Amino acid sequence: MAQTFVLPNSGHNRDDVASKMGMWLFLFTELLLFGGMFLVYLIYRVGYSEDFLNASYQLDVFMGTVNTIVLLTSSMTVAMSITAIQKGNKDLAVALLWVTLAAALIFLVIKYFEWTAKFDYGLAMGMDYYNSLPHGERLFFFLYFLMTGLHAIHVIVGAVILLFVIHGINKGTVTQDKFMFHENAGLYWHLVDLIWIYLFPLFYLIH
Amino acid sequence: MKDQEKLKEDNKEFHEHHLVTYKMQYSTWVGLLLLTVMTVTVSVFGAHIYTLSVLTALIIASTKALVVALYFMHLKFDPKLYLIMIGIVMFLFVIFLVLTLIDYLTRPTQTMMM
Repeated sequence: MAQTFVLPNSGHNRDDVASKMGMWLFLFTELLLFGGMFLVYLIYRVGYSEDFLNASYQLDVFMGTVNTIVLLTSSMTVAMSITAIQKGNKDLAVALLWVTLAAALIFLVIKYFEWTAKFDYGLAMGMDYYNSLPHGERLFFFLYFLMTGLHAIHVIVGAVILLFVIHGINKGTVTQDKFMFHENAGLYWHLVDLIWIYLFPLFYLIH
Repeated sequence: MKDQEKLKEDNKEFHEHHLVTYKMQYSTWVGLLLLTVMTVTVSVFGAHIYTLSVLTALIIASTKALVVALYFMHLKFDPKLYLIMIGIVMFLFVIFLVLTLIDYLTRPTQTMMM
């Protein structure tokens, strides 16, 4: 006698809702990581508002604005590529991810020029000019390098994850029906954008 | 076999995803760009109103963050469960920020400067 035993949830050996929830839980830990640093920033900004104001004039508002636009655009292309994979348009999804990666590269190149300009002025920790600055300005540049540096690391990690998504689409492990990896990678990329949305006004736009 | 099909039917709702149109993403992007232009303008041309510019910068940044979360991160279209989770976490996070700030800001100035 033939018996059919049906496993609960048979045919779907995965749980998309839980998968995304796991990603969100991870993003909450990122919130605490950056949140702690934003708290340090807020307290010292209140304590040394004059120094923070003076120090922020050294930052290039134009480059910061361009980087903001670059990141916002990359966020849009990631979101669009998720729509594309949902529609089954693999080529467009991959192309949009490459555009995102190009934006990440542009962001990092601009960041590189900004940082090297700061190094030339001697504004990095331990340099003679840095040591001669008032306490509050030193705190500002310390936090600037720490927070934008950690953010840049997140940009690099996000780009690597997106490369894996491209690989997954090409190999067929990320498909129209099964795209949670793509979507979670997108969530990570949007988080990188979210952090920059706060970093930009807090460091570049004190006036 | 019938059971299997019924199960598949039951599971379907968990696998259905709302499709966000390209047009909506493009409009979201335009909105975010406008907010960026606004925050830069306020900062560069409203230089003399110090506290106002700090507050507006933070309000505009939070508006942008909300737009990114709702549209790009699909929170508006996903199950409400994520929104509830994020609401709780943000509430706790704000308590953490506000209480620490209250502590520091009510200390005598000497201790504050360290």
